Amino acid sequence: MLLIHCPYCDETLPEPEFAYAGEAHIARPADPMALSDEEWRDFLFIRSNPRGNHFERWRHVNGCGRFFNAVRDTVSDKFAMTYRAGEPRPNLDALKEAAE
Amino acid sequence: MTAQIHSFPRSTAVAVTVLPLEARFSLRLRAASREAAEAALGLPLPDRIGRTSEQGGRRALCLGPDEWRLDVPAAEAAAVAGALEGGIPHALVEVTDREVTFLIEGPGSLDLLAIGIARDVRRLEVGRGARTVFDGVQAVLVREGEERFTLAVWRSYASHVEELLRQGAREIALGL
Amino acid sequence: MSQPFRIAGHGRVDHAQPVRFTFDGRTVEGRRGDTVASALLANGIHLMGRSFKYHRPRGVVSAGSEEPNALIGTSRGPGRFEPNTRATMQEVRQGLTAESQNKWPSLSFDVGAINDRLGRFIPAGFYYKTFKWPRSFWDKVYEPFIRQAAGLGKSPTEADPDHYASRHLHCDVLIVGGGPAGLAAALAAGQSGAETVLVDEQAEIGGTLLSEPGVRIEGQGAWDWLAAALAELRTMPNVRLMSRTTAIGYYHQNMVGLCERLTDHLDVLPEGAPRERLWRVRAGQVVLAQGAIEKPLVFDGNDRPGVMLAGAAQTFLHRFGVKVGNRVAVVTSHDSAWHGAFDLAHAGVKVAAIVDVRAEVPRVLTARAEALGIEVLTGHTVTGTTGRLRVATVRVNPVQGGRVGAGRTIACDALLMCGGWTPSLHLFSHTKGSLAWDAEAGAFLPDRKTEECEIAGAGRGLWGVAAALEDGARAGAAAAKAPGRVAGVGTFAVEGDRTGSGVVAKELPTDRDAGLAKAFIDFQNDVTAKDIRLAVREGMRSIEHVKRYTTNGMATDQGKLSNINGLMIAADALGKEAPAVGLTTFRPPYTPTTFGALANLRKGRHFEVTRRTAIDAWAEATGAVFEPVSLWRRAWYFPQAGEDMHKAVARECRAVRTAVGMFDASTLGKIEVMGPDAATFLERMYTNPWAKLQPGRCRYGLLLGEDGFIRDDGVIGRLAADKFHVTTTTGGAARVLNMMEDYLQTEWPDLDVWLTSTTEQWAVVALQGPNARKLLEPLVEGLDLSDDAFPHMAVVECTVAGFPARLFRVSFTGELGFEVNVPARHGRALWEALWQAGQAHGVVPYGTETMHVLRAEKGFIIVGQDTDGTVTPQDAGLGWAIGKAKTDFVGKRSLARPDIVAKGRKQLVGLLTEDPAVVLEEGAQIVADPNQPIPMTMIGHVTSSYWSEALGRSIAMALVEGGRDRMGEVLHIPMPGRTLRAKVTVPNFVDPDGQKLKV
Ligand SMILES: [Zn+2]
Repeated sequence: MLLIHCPYCDETLPEPEFAYAGEAHIARPADPMALSDEEWRDFLFIRSNPRGNHFERWRHVNGCGRFFNAVRDTVSDKFAMTYRAGEPRPNLDALKEAAE
Repeated sequence: MTAQIHSFPRSTAVAVTVLPLEARFSLRLRAASREAAEAALGLPLPDRIGRTSEQGGRRALCLGPDEWRLDVPAAEAAAVAGALEGGIPHALVEVTDREVTFLIEGPGSLDLLAIGIARDVRRLEVGRGARTVFDGVQAVLVREGEERFTLAVWRSYASHVEELLRQGAREIALGL
Repeated sequence: MSQPFRIAGHGRVDHAQPVRFTFDGRTVEGRRGDTVASALLANGIHLMGRSFKYHRPRGVVSAGSEEPNALIGTSRGPGRFEPNTRATMQEVRQGLTAESQNKWPSLSFDVGAINDRLGRFIPAGFYYKTFKWPRSFWDKVYEPFIRQAAGLGKSPTEADPDHYASRHLHCDVLIVGGGPAGLAAALAAGQSGAETVLVDEQAEIGGTLLSEPGVRIEGQGAWDWLAAALAELRTMPNVRLMSRTTAIGYYHQNMVGLCERLTDHLDVLPEGAPRERLWRVRAGQVVLAQGAIEKPLVFDGNDRPGVMLAGAAQTFLHRFGVKVGNRVAVVTSHDSAWHGAFDLAHAGVKVAAIVDVRAEVPRVLTARAEALGIEVLTGHTVTGTTGRLRVATVRVNPVQGGRVGAGRTIACDALLMCGGWTPSLHLFSHTKGSLAWDAEAGAFLPDRKTEECEIAGAGRGLWGVAAALEDGARAGAAAAKAPGRVAGVGTFAVEGDRTGSGVVAKELPTDRDAGLAKAFIDFQNDVTAKDIRLAVREGMRSIEHVKRYTTNGMATDQGKLSNINGLMIAADALGKEAPAVGLTTFRPPYTPTTFGALANLRKGRHFEVTRRTAIDAWAEATGAVFEPVSLWRRAWYFPQAGEDMHKAVARECRAVRTAVGMFDASTLGKIEVMGPDAATFLERMYTNPWAKLQPGRCRYGLLLGEDGFIRDDGVIGRLAADKFHVTTTTGGAARVLNMMEDYLQTEWPDLDVWLTSTTEQWAVVALQGPNARKLLEPLVEGLDLSDDAFPHMAVVECTVAGFPARLFRVSFTGELGFEVNVPARHGRALWEALWQAGQAHGVVPYGTETMHVLRAEKGFIIVGQDTDGTVTPQDAGLGWAIGKAKTDFVGKRSLARPDIVAKGRKQLVGLLTEDPAVVLEEGAQIVADPNQPIPMTMIGHVTSSYWSEALGRSIAMALVEGGRDRMGEVLHIPMPGRTLRAKVTVPNFVDPDGQKLKV
């Protein structure tokens, strides 16, 4: 059972209060009809699936209800950080330096 | 010599009761509208998740950045339902019947909540609340006193939760 | 019984309190504080079980939870049978029934032991080599044979009457293991003020101190010091001590699972007491002080009853006052066994000889042995044992320059062995912490940590009480370190400590044919040194492959005794160093754990939440049969006396089509969509247009995923310009709300609209049938229900039967219909008021089955039954629900994808069987040509199929390739023994023009 920091509640809370919600920073195109079939396919289905740091979305569904973003290591499962929806993708190198 | 060693403070008394329905609303609005809504409701709306406020028998619990639970006397339900008409973009929805609220009190209340709640309830300060999970069921927990809590769950889950609370209370009373 | 091997006044058992239990039907007397193993040994019983594969007779090897041999079934009355209990862990209680396992007909004469004679024909990999083919033999021949032959304990057949508890716990420091290291850690952490929890799997906390009373700590005997330390810890309000509590798993971020055994040791069960409690502990820091486990030595005949670990004999002596034999021999590669031998000699046991494989042994040990009159045989090996059900002799040989000399035989009734110690790092391994081989310690020690933890004492290769205390104090202080806390590191003066060292041995050298030796490594799974070498010869290179090929370490003890010996022999066979071969992975649980503890509260009616509506109790009282629908239980049908399901549903259907039926629709998901942008939001979410829907009107809404496939549907009513009452399917309620929140929060955060779940705020009663208006009219205040004033797809807030209500005119049956929503507390009263009023109009209650039949007669889909996540609106015949003028909605772009617009997609059609009496099976596959060779090309499947009482024949819906171009075509449904024929039709079977709605 992981501990997850909700950036809205500003509390670190147990995993049962949260739900995973897929990869982060994949915005719905403003005008989907303007996209080619290939572009739309990529939006729908193509995901990064990295070994290591993964940008992903979680929802504090049994808490404040907010969707937020996280950086999590898919090998160790551990969260490097969480941040609010709409905030820019953090710089991973800076993150690494901060951890060292 | 072979007695079960259990040196921690044992708390055997805990009572579980179901609170009668008053009136409960879910209020949603943006931060920019908060002051206007406070004036219209005659009730401060705390801006930090988990905080409560009370005034004139009305109470607000902040559950999310734009969400409050309002508890008011049944007689004031209609007045509250109409209080925000006009001008303030919001959603105010009565949810009195959606929920069943348990009162859990006694020295064993923390132990009893710990049968189903994964978060550290001891860290919840008196007068604060949180939406959380009790044995897989979403619940809103408020610490009313050191050893007094309310736990609200949706109506259809109430019998499941109540039976577990009573089973847990019996277990705690045994002191094993 | 006399307990001839009990030493009066010795040990920690209560000699004044006899406890009687039975073992294989024979009454045995032990003492309060005994385990089953110690009580049996006190009575001279070593034979406690038989092995898994060869059914060889086996005795107890250890004194702890690592025991591989002495597995028993325990019972305390109906349903309370527990197989595979370790006799070394089960405390005796009055009336306990214990039985040995893997024996038939009796423990001392077992027919399955013939496998033992055939042993040379059942080598490593035997199962893989033999039970290979043909495939059909698996079900009928191999598996039954293996299961019966194997049978590790009997599964209980009765329901478990016990219940189990669950608890979450949060602390600063969790200490696993209550030996000297754990106690010192608890004292240091406790004194600092940290919230500290100390757990120990034994009945008594103390660990090795319980087995080493001769050590003196701070001028006190070990037991006095232990009592004082426990007393001090008990006075600290910030410290919890938990005995009989096993840490079973170590999970992410310092979450540790504990299983606490509450009643298995009690003579009488307290009324209502849970048997076990599963704790989920979240600790700031974890201290692993689990000590070390003694390794057996590997030699021919090392599994004979009476051959056991030297440390176990020491524990039986000191904790339980039991001598494991009258004349014991010792074989060791480590100093520690010498001390055990001395203790036994002091207690009056004849120690026939100490055989040490090392040529050089510390003089202090040999001198002491000689002073006690014990024969010392350094530089010797053991090459065999004799004795049928108990060891009688041991054969010892000198070893010089690698050559094994002539053997001689020494008589003994117990043989104590010690191959050194393995740090107990199972929990550490659960965290994926890495281990490093320490050549000096001859053991894997903790290396890289992944969690906030400390390892203390023997767990990191520190031997002796002084080192354990000191290291424990250090670990406890380090773990407790936090702002505002001062943790001192205590020092301990220890006298009589027993530090020591040893060598790591593989199989002991022998002068006999090693190929004939039965030198066991994994006792429970009967894996020998020879098997490991064979596995390597046959090409296994990875230790994980060797493990699976030989089953070494795969028994219930997870290789606690066997892993290192197996590794050393595999490494030798591979010509590699131990660290180059590596270790297999330890996984939770640390020791076998009951399903009851793991399920804890989720038992019986609480296995899963059952959601009930406000009307559920009425349905139950009326005799409804229920079906589960997601977490809800819903009334399925309401049988009257003598009716089966078919008859009841047919009657309910007739009543709705000819009079009126009432239905509990409370489980439908409901979402209040409110705010100035409510209509804009729904425009974007649903396929349908909403902007122009007038307040007071409803519309069918269709929700797609972004991939264009149907996700949900439901009627949406507009209550005001800024307020919609959205309904969802029962199963989709939470999913739809989550999806809406996702779009609202992350894609369109600028919209002023909010979503509130009102599923449980409202109880909903549907009235359907030609008499519905007549029934309802008198109960509605101040509202004209006529078709002109309140037409189909209208909604209004009003009063029904005196309750505030939202009244919808909707139909999921094709009949005149209303749905009355009232606050849930009034649901039952509303239902009963309608029931009373309906008596004059022929009202019947109906359940979900009738609802399904009636909607299928109209061709209305059930999302998830007639759709499967790959069905578009066009596929389902719902193209009309798409707002043609809308530029965007969720899923719109996908409806133009090449594969979605391609011809030949499966489309929803009706099917009418040629034989009207035949009701097709839902899920049945459809083919165009029944005469084609198998495997046939399937072109679709039946999604819904019922007996239609209205038509007096069967009806069905199906998804069929190019279905709408096949109208009138006859398709085939191959079923076992026959092929059915059915004609493709439009899926609208009753009142296709919808005349019945316009009344
Ligand atoms: Zn939150």
